[in-house]
Amino acid sequence: MSAHAQVEALPPGLTGPKLAVWWFLASEIMVFGGLIASYLVLRLGGTGWAEASQHLSPTLAAVNTLVLLTSSYTIVRAFVAAEHGDAGGLRVNLALTVVGGLIFLGLKAVEYTTEIRAGFTPGAGIFWSFYYTMTGLHALHVLGGVVVNVVILAATRASLERPHRVELAGLYWHFVDLVWIFLFPLLYLS
Amino acid sequence: MSVERAHPNYTAVWLWLLVLLGVGLAASFLPGGRSVALVVIFATAVVKALLVALSFMHLRFESGVIYAIALIPLVFAAILLVALFPDFVWHARPR
Repeated sequence: MSAHAQVEALPPGLTGPKLAVWWFLASEIMVFGGLIASYLVLRLGGTGWAEASQHLSPTLAAVNTLVLLTSSYTIVRAFVAAEHGDAGGLRVNLALTVVGGLIFLGLKAVEYTTEIRAGFTPGAGIFWSFYYTMTGLHALHVLGGVVVNVVILAATRASLERPHRVELAGLYWHFVDLVWIFLFPLLYLS
Repeated sequence: MSVERAHPNYTAVWLWLLVLLGVGLAASFLPGGRSVALVVIFATAVVKALLVALSFMHLRFESGVIYAIALIPLVFAAILLVALFPDFVWHARPR
């Protein structure tokens, strides 16, 4: 079977690039899934975790959750705009998504600074090791998503011709949002 | 080539996400037992995740291939959790 025939054999709406992004996301699910599973196992078998988490700022984290949920909304609006050939809508919504990512990173930097100044460094205990590993890895993913979104934003014309690029960037961004949806209660609210 | 799809009402989904965020936060201030609050907090997190995955990531419109790709690593992560379960039960027992 030729490569062309194999591509044609994909189900309707499923393209090679989308399949590739989902494979990538599957590997990411294992990375964060493994971390979260380890966190749960150690937390359920240990003591002092809830007391340590009292030193975090749920208010800042709640604002960050609001920001990420909203940026997921704006990037999906950007995809709709790209499908409809709406250059203005695409630019505005992608720019809002980028700003959302930067606000998230800025607030995370404020949190880290406050915690480290109070003596809660990554070596301050197992809770803090997990906290910095999970949120730091997540923040790196947010940073990566911001870079991808800036690239898509800079190439608006190409994105209007190939709107699936916006959809693929959005898939990654939504995944970053999904991870945070679970990190927030696991670290800040429990 | 792109296949234009039907879009759900994204604004409604976003508003539901905000409502669920508010419910989860309010639950953390619930008086009484902590376990009830935790159930509400994690239940709202699961519903938020489903809304994002099904509507924003368009999983509700995707083929079984995508579901398989997304679910298999989740199953493996669950297996990892269950496999490690005896370890924390052993360490948590009184000695």
